[in-house]
Amino acid sequence: MVDADTGAQLAVKDVSVFYGNFCAINHIDISVGAGEIVSIIGANGAGKSTLLKAIIGQADRVEGTISFAGDDIVGRSTKEIVASGIMLVPEGRRLFPSLTVEENLRLGWDVGRKGKGDIGFADIWKQFPVLDERRKQKAGLLSGGQQQMVALGRALLANPQLLLCDEISLGLAPLVVNELYALIPRIKARGIGILIVEQDIERSLAVADRFYCLLEGKVSLSGRPSEVSRDDVIKNYFGI
Amino acid sequence: MPTAPNLLLSGLRLLFAAVVIAMAAGPYFLDPTEVVIVTEFLSMLVLAIMWNLLAGYADIVTVGQHAFVGVGAYAFFGFSALAGLDPYSSIPLAGLVALIIAVPAMILVFRLRTAYLAIGTWVVAEVLMLVAGKLQAWGGGSGTSLPISIVLSLGRARNDRLAVIYWLAFALAAAAMFVTYFLLRSRIGVGLTAMRDNEEGAAAIGVNITRARILCFLGTAPFLGMAGAIITMQKLRIAPPASFSITDFTVFIIFNVVIGGIGSFEGPIIGTIVYFLLREYLSELGTWNLILLGTFSIVVILIERRGLWGLFRRLLADDIVPVAHKPTQPAVVSRRLSATES
Amino acid sequence: MAGVWINQILQGILLGGLYTLFATGLSLSAGVMRFVNIAHGDFIVLTSFILLVLVTSLGINPAIATIIVLPIAFVFGFGLQRFLLQRVVGENVLLVILVTFGLSIIIENGLLEGFGADPQKISGGSLETATIALGDGINMGVFQVITFVAAVAMVAVLDLILYRSGIGAKIRAVSDDVVAADLIGLSSARIYAIAMGISFVTIGIAAGFMSIWTDFDPASGGTRLLIAFEAIVLGGLGSLWGSLVGGIVLGIAQSVGAQFDIAWQMLAGHIVFLIVLAVRPQGLFPKY
Ligand SMILES: Nc1ncnc2c1ncn2[C@@H]1O[C@H](COP(=O)(O)OP(=O)(O)OP(=O)(O)O)[C@@H](O)[C@H]1O
Ligand SMILES: [Mg+2]
Repeated sequence: MVDADTGAQLAVKDVSVFYGNFCAINHIDISVGAGEIVSIIGANGAGKSTLLKAIIGQADRVEGTISFAGDDIVGRSTKEIVASGIMLVPEGRRLFPSLTVEENLRLGWDVGRKGKGDIGFADIWKQFPVLDERRKQKAGLLSGGQQQMVALGRALLANPQLLLCDEISLGLAPLVVNELYALIPRIKARGIGILIVEQDIERSLAVADRFYCLLEGKVSLSGRPSEVSRDDVIKNYFGI
Repeated sequence: MPTAPNLLLSGLRLLFAAVVIAMAAGPYFLDPTEVVIVTEFLSMLVLAIMWNLLAGYADIVTVGQHAFVGVGAYAFFGFSALAGLDPYSSIPLAGLVALIIAVPAMILVFRLRTAYLAIGTWVVAEVLMLVAGKLQAWGGGSGTSLPISIVLSLGRARNDRLAVIYWLAFALAAAAMFVTYFLLRSRIGVGLTAMRDNEEGAAAIGVNITRARILCFLGTAPFLGMAGAIITMQKLRIAPPASFSITDFTVFIIFNVVIGGIGSFEGPIIGTIVYFLLREYLSELGTWNLILLGTFSIVVILIERRGLWGLFRRLLADDIVPVAHKPTQPAVVSRRLSATES
Repeated sequence: MAGVWINQILQGILLGGLYTLFATGLSLSAGVMRFVNIAHGDFIVLTSFILLVLVTSLGINPAIATIIVLPIAFVFGFGLQRFLLQRVVGENVLLVILVTFGLSIIIENGLLEGFGADPQKISGGSLETATIALGDGINMGVFQVITFVAAVAMVAVLDLILYRSGIGAKIRAVSDDVVAADLIGLSSARIYAIAMGISFVTIGIAAGFMSIWTDFDPASGGTRLLIAFEAIVLGGLGSLWGSLVGGIVLGIAQSVGAQFDIAWQMLAGHIVFLIVLAVRPQGLFPKY
């Protein structure tokens, strides 16, 4: 159940993504192994969210192949992709504000991969007691950090093999971000691969096994966090 | 170097100018039946231009524009037949009444978002029609005829009267085109186009969209009212269902503009021409003609949202009447007009 | 004397039941998909004609005919949304307004072609004439009472579906944020289609009651749409129970208006609507 060439669970090969004629992602190669944490960093507009949209099946025009568990998923519907084991924590959390916390979480469960799910509601309530207390509360009334917990919980309940996280630290207090990031290694420990998109270089490189730096739709640098110097990262992040 | 599309474009512009000039002299060379048909064409063109201005630019999709046509008709009757004013000054006064009625109508329907606004305008039209049916001096529910004295004051001979009404309709259509042309080329028009194509664009240009929409809504009302007055001169009768005819003044108009090309200057003109060219055949079809036009407009929306003009425009270097400020664009591709496909 | 007015108000409330049947489906589709199906009223009339054909040609009971039609209505509504309307649903409502407007004209004229302009009616048999006398000149038609109960039941069932079921949560999610729904694999297109299917089931039920209650002809779709629309705006957009109240307000306005002068019936309803729009544009029970 891995990519034939690279042995990775997710292999993005020679992929370009377009908005109209504008090429937001330009011939990119990226891979994520099973249970591996891979970080994507890059400045505003580098194409990070676009890459995640392409993987999850929400980009209009994608060229190249994206293989997941050995199958090319380009052209599949998001519904099928999610059911096959990839789930997104969208940029800006994107909860459904008029639904309760529990309803939001249940949607993740409903769309998710069938099979013996490792993670159930009990785990979510245990992990986030604040959500347990607010089960029946409308998600729109939660604080930013609580909303991010619901978004993450919703994604985990979909029983994914690969989790895509788009800027989960955005707009949150450092303490809350610490709490959320503390979960990343524990998710990995369950064998779930994680693709983390962040602008916060320090934070995401600290948890990542490998990273890619995007610059104007291209990979400008990649490797293991321990193997590159800070200067190199900065240079390739801003393209200076 | 004049390319083929440029040549075609120059040819079309010349043709357009020539037709407009020829039409000004219409009654001198057309026979009376043709004069009547072209007069109908011109008043329908006015309605089409107005609906297109609202729906194609100002984001006001109305299905109740027959309201102001009817108000114009009734006001015209009131001024000329009841108050005894001469019919010529009754026309602008009818436009004025339509404008006055448009103010409260606008205040009410603008409380509704676009999707609901459409039906709000229909409710307003329904109310105005029902109220018109209560006006006993106007013949109540069954309506009444224009007094013969007014008819005769337009001209002793029938042909003279037809010519007078023709020129009135011609003048109104010409004014409608001039006004929309200059409006669309003004900052307001640019702002509206920017809003239609991209919501943020308008703010960047610094045009107050709400004010622009108010201006458009109120601006179309007098034209619709005056068209109603001219249509009444031609039909010589007022009656609630006929003067407030949703089929004639809204349904056909919408279909014509959609088929011709919504959101372009040429669209309503082309749509109305095509309709009149086909009308002979269509009227033989009876109710099938509305079924056919309805189906055709749905197909147009699904396949080429900019209508016949959108198809034809691909062959040309520019619009015949350039209202867009970026004439080099291959087409007025509007993001808001192109819905996201699933 | 007071009895006359109490009777008119009572008749108005019962009429409000019929109007609620027109309105709930429109409320659902408009609340979820943010566009008004201009052909809503014409679909009610179209279904009434289908029922008429079923009842007269097969000689079956109107209630059974309605029950037969409901699943077909669901599938039709689902398909209409999925294969036609979905292609124009998007940021600009202009296109979808125009498509449903086109449908409305096609249906109206198609029916005119097929059935002529004469008013039609389906006979409800003895049920139609049965009344409950409350004294002082106050009478309630049994069929009218059944219609009202059906309307309350319909609102209650839709409310349960929307707020207590899995598909209801999905429908509300898509109504909250379509883009987010698609991002997590909810497939808004399919959920829209289901919502439209449900809306068409309500159209089928409304047609069943309307075709016995009043005359209908090919051109009567427009008024049905306006009434449904006014009821949902009066009640507060997106609020199902609100559309029941909106329907009742319209029913009372029309019934009391008709007591002054029969010609005032329609006008009275429209005027109450416009007054409420002027002073309380968010409706009586706003949801958003
Ligand atoms: N819907 C869209 N239509 C057109 N262009 C888009 C669209 N979404 C994004 N873009 C463009 O694509 C490029 C990449 O955008 P993307 O959102 O992927 O960047 P990002 O790396 O996620 O940025 P940020 O860190 O700000 O979230 C940008 O230039 C952006 O303007
Ligand atoms: Mg982003």
